[in-house]
Amino acid sequence: MLTKDTVLPRLIEIITPFNRAGTDLNAKTTFATDLELDSLTVMDLTAEIEDEYDMLIPVNMLPDLETIGDVADAVVKIKNA
Amino acid sequence: MTACIMYLWQARHFCVTDVQSEADPVRIVSDESRSQDAQDIDFMGTDQVSEVREPTPTASGIVRRLADFDTLGDALDYAADGACGLNFFDARAANPRVQSYKALQSDARAHALRLIAMGAKPGDRVALIAETGPEFVATFFGCIYAGVLPVPLPLPTSFGGRESYVSQISNQLNSCDPMLAIAPPALTEFVAQATAHMDGVDVLGWDSFEALPAPAADLPRPSPDDIAYLQYSSGSTRFPHGVEVTHRALLANLNGHAVGVGLADEDRVISWLPYYHDMGLVGCLLSPIANQVSADYLATEDFARRPLSWLSLISRHDGTTLSYSPTFGYDICTRRISSQTRAGDRFDLSRWRVAGNGADMIRPSVMEQFARTFAPAGFNPGAFMPSYGLAEATLAVTMSRPGDGIEVDEVDETRLGGQGASADGAEAGAGRTRRLVNCGYALPGMEIEIRDHDDIVLSEGEIGRVLTRGPSIMTGYFRDPEATAACLRDGWLDTGDMGYLKGGAIYIVGRAKDMIIINGKNHWPQDIEWGVEQLPHFKAGDIAAFAITTSDGEERPAVLVQCRTSDLAERARLIATIRDRIKTMTGMSCVVELVPARSLPLTSSGKLSRSKARKMYLSGDIQPLDIAA
Repeated sequence: MLTKDTVLPRLIEIITPFNRAGTDLNAKTTFATDLELDSLTVMDLTAEIEDEYDMLIPVNMLPDLETIGDVADAVVKIKNA
Repeated sequence: MTACIMYLWQARHFCVTDVQSEADPVRIVSDESRSQDAQDIDFMGTDQVSEVREPTPTASGIVRRLADFDTLGDALDYAADGACGLNFFDARAANPRVQSYKALQSDARAHALRLIAMGAKPGDRVALIAETGPEFVATFFGCIYAGVLPVPLPLPTSFGGRESYVSQISNQLNSCDPMLAIAPPALTEFVAQATAHMDGVDVLGWDSFEALPAPAADLPRPSPDDIAYLQYSSGSTRFPHGVEVTHRALLANLNGHAVGVGLADEDRVISWLPYYHDMGLVGCLLSPIANQVSADYLATEDFARRPLSWLSLISRHDGTTLSYSPTFGYDICTRRISSQTRAGDRFDLSRWRVAGNGADMIRPSVMEQFARTFAPAGFNPGAFMPSYGLAEATLAVTMSRPGDGIEVDEVDETRLGGQGASADGAEAGAGRTRRLVNCGYALPGMEIEIRDHDDIVLSEGEIGRVLTRGPSIMTGYFRDPEATAACLRDGWLDTGDMGYLKGGAIYIVGRAKDMIIINGKNHWPQDIEWGVEQLPHFKAGDIAAFAITTSDGEERPAVLVQCRTSDLAERARLIATIRDRIKTMTGMSCVVELVPARSLPLTSSGKLSRSKARKMYLSGDIQPLDIAA
């Protein structure tokens, strides 16, 4: 059973190489404004996260994933579904 | 759900070691190794794979007709007599869901009866969230058979942005005023939110629509001059324009497309382009149907995650390939393949006959890099086929000749000056040139004129406004006579683009006056300016948004904002707020500069002149204010 406590640090590790702006990474960090990721980079990152957790993030979930914490919640929700 | 069923084509595996690219240290794992890692997992979003199915064949078995039909419904009826169809591959470019044209015809006819039973009358609109899948296509053609206008609308694309997605489709729904909106079941909630303020718009998922009864009825018989569908890929997000495309205009364009590519027996279309964009809908869905060609698809979001799947799909096909992309699609593939991976070991692109370029400014350096990177995989640079088009002309206006590849004209920057479309003027110096791409020759029946600002027709080589006339021009924007009159006069469509003719071929200097195009997505400066105006202390006319072009032809948005405060810290804070706001709206990082009050130039009619503001900014005639360190 995955929990947000274990997923969040691993997500931050995965996101670190994408963090060219050197932003502080935590649950509240937003992809668009804090990390300044363009949509193509976001999709690249999505693929990394999906492969890490052997899952697919459905398209209807994407619009509500504003922060790293939101993604951690989504991963937990999908994996434990 | 069972584990991944091995599909025939999948047997051809590519072995890749995980390698780190020098060019792009972010990339660690390549796409193909990703798909191998995930080969046996069961992942969400895949439809039930109950059986392994062969994709539809390349040969139709019927006599080829090049879109010479009266209506789009007739075109599908003819294609349904043959063996071709559409194949929707999953995220790993495997396990296609197969939709033969025969099956599509039968599903679409049942859908037409459902719409008629719901009270749909010819000319009514039905909005469809344009997911890459057989449900969308069957519903689109159900509308066509019922004489109803399907209106493809976009999917959400990225992390975050629920609000902007809902507001985008809400504006489009307002504009097309549909009786019904049908969407992937998972997205009906967004559509319901977007239609909450509208009266009498039903929102259904594909599944609940399909469950409705389909009582027998007579299908209407549309005339070639009836509108077939509305296309919303043009116009701003906030003030969308629905392009009206008639059956006649569409089929003329699809005939031109087939003639332009010199359609061959072994050709197959392979595409990841979204159906809500004209190149994806017209070029990669309606064209194969009207010309009896099979097509293979990857969903756009799957391409965005694993772009090299596109090239895998092309490699596997035994015949010749027609596949199109904006510049960024070629760019992302070049970047994604690691410098240590030999493209020749993984891909066979030798039968890629037409690698179409269009939908944004074509950047020769990106295409050359792609051709170099994939030369070991047999990619022939002669396959590149630049084209020029716009939704208002259904799709293509010009196409270059198959086999010619990218032909470049080196033009002195000084010649491009003053056209609102020069390269980065801040760096422009004497002798600097820009490389412009030959976008080809007018399709059969289409004419092109280059005119100056007084409507005087210019001669070859002179840069001016690009106008076009011919059978595939739209009848107008849906319920918007004012916007229609602004670009359509005496049968001539003012494209809003600047360019010149040379040897009968068109060279585009700048796209759509003020439009900002980044990674194939159009951003209208009005939308960006409006977003900034919503912040406290700003008003209309304080903001000018435009694109600046870097020396390698890449576009980036810039925003000048008139500012009245002299407090340096306050200025820095304003810039951060504006940048965040624009980033949230558009997903783009942009250059934000504060400029003195009343420094933005106006046109003679008192409106903001973006092109003048841009020119003055680049030349240093508008100086940004200092901000806090």
